[in-house]
Amino acid sequence: MSMILNDEEKGMLAGDYGAGKQKAIELLIRLGNSFGAEKLSPVSYAHVSYDSCPEDFWDLLTTDVQQTPHTVTTHPSFQPELWRKWGLPVKDETVGEHRRKVKTIEQLGWIRTETCAEYLIGIIPQLGDIVSMAGSCMQVANNSLFGAKVERMGTLVSMAAAICGRTPLMGLLLPENRYASYLVELNDLNMSQWSICHYQCLGYYIGSQVPGFKPVAVAGLPYDLPFDFARALIISMPTSGAITLAHLVGITPEAHTIESTFGHKKPEQVIRVGKNEMGTTWEKLNTWHNDIVENVTFGCPHANVEDIGRIAARLEGKKIKTSLIIGASSFIATAARNRGYTDTIEKAGGHIASVCPAIWNPFTRRDIAGEKQAKSVATNSARAAHYLATVSGVSVFFGTEEDCVNAALTGRWKGVMQKWK
Amino acid sequence: MEIKAHVISCGEASGEAVVYRGPFSFLGDLDPMTGTVSVPRHPLQGISLVGKVFVFTTGKGSSGGDAAAWRAKQNGKMPAGIICLESEPILSGALIVTETPAVDQPEKDVFELIKTGDYVRIDANRGIIELAID
Repeated sequence: MSMILNDEEKGMLAGDYGAGKQKAIELLIRLGNSFGAEKLSPVSYAHVSYDSCPEDFWDLLTTDVQQTPHTVTTHPSFQPELWRKWGLPVKDETVGEHRRKVKTIEQLGWIRTETCAEYLIGIIPQLGDIVSMAGSCMQVANNSLFGAKVERMGTLVSMAAAICGRTPLMGLLLPENRYASYLVELNDLNMSQWSICHYQCLGYYIGSQVPGFKPVAVAGLPYDLPFDFARALIISMPTSGAITLAHLVGITPEAHTIESTFGHKKPEQVIRVGKNEMGTTWEKLNTWHNDIVENVTFGCPHANVEDIGRIAARLEGKKIKTSLIIGASSFIATAARNRGYTDTIEKAGGHIASVCPAIWNPFTRRDIAGEKQAKSVATNSARAAHYLATVSGVSVFFGTEEDCVNAALTGRWKGVMQKWK
Repeated sequence: MEIKAHVISCGEASGEAVVYRGPFSFLGDLDPMTGTVSVPRHPLQGISLVGKVFVFTTGKGSSGGDAAAWRAKQNGKMPAGIICLESEPILSGALIVTETPAVDQPEKDVFELIKTGDYVRIDANRGIIELAID
């Protein structure tokens, strides 16, 4: 083990702070060593994904751990008791595991934000802050949109980082690794009518074109690009690939000009995106065979109040024929309820929940919904489309928010394949 | 033939190679119950990686990759060993936490030298890939 450790870290490794911290720091050291990290760095705060962490690993790492001195927040979570109220046959063991983990979280003093979009509820790292996070969507958003320093890491590693309050000083935590190496140029795309799904589609294509986790810079976007479009674009990139830092030139904090974004060097490669690339990606995300839609999924990344308001307006006074879920934090759901949106959506037959509706969608996962599993789902998120098709194994309709709401109302897909000519 | 490589996760492994010239995620690409590739239209769809030496380019996708690998490991459905061109931290974390012998940055073109079905041995203590050719 070649990494330099301070006395406290040496103590953790020796087991002076208990078995959980010992196991956690061992894992961080092994990972750091494989990437040539010189030392561990303290984190400003940490973010974990507890429901997706296997319970044996969770128990291993939380053994002997008292409250942590640093803040820890949580990724989208299960609500198994709520899902039962929706009529899903959630297993007793799922309920039990969730309750046990929540109890541990309360003992640790961690804050249950239960969202992949903490920036919507005011939890935003400062420029240059070193933070450790579960969730590739959180990592890429905080790196790119706010200039925090976040390394790409898995759920289990981020759990280890939260336990120790440390992360290996490597990769994107080092300023010299944050310059863009790939340049994305947009060719002849008229973006004036674009909505969330178009930016998601673009991000999904870009992610598939960059090998590994090299930072990219996207040029040619309007300088007044709405925040919701920026986050839709960025969070879909680490789905098809591993991009964890995406600079939007003229928009994001470390991308004032193309020259400075590349550290005044030439781009390693230029990726050009035009109508052909958009059209092919759009088709690839649509994996459906017939037009029957059983579930509609929004909120990947987690929705804000405006997203929920638009969907509520489309559903006002109507009844849907499919199940419908919008992923959003409980804080946003409360704000939406105060404005009457949540009631409108629930009256129509839809639900708002703090789950990850892409990877852990309770309606499409056979291990949650059992015989009630929805076999086909419509979504306006490329990230959700990818994971619904691969993790849940259901057939997917990808289109605009309007197409998806219409599918919920009719139970049929009438969304038109976009004409990219 | 011996090929030098960089160690991701220590140990020794050997087995039949499965070669895929693309990125891979344990979450979504691998069914943790069966150890087969589960993606519709994927070139490896339906192929089992259990006990194989899996050769691919790099990692991709969600941070759930290491948790998915952990579940596959509990079910005994992980590949025996991994060779990739250049790893990334989610993939490396998944291989370290599951104690899967793994190397990257091989000094020779493994896609040229290794074909699916070839017998391959990895010594990930020393950082060596061994092939049954001269």
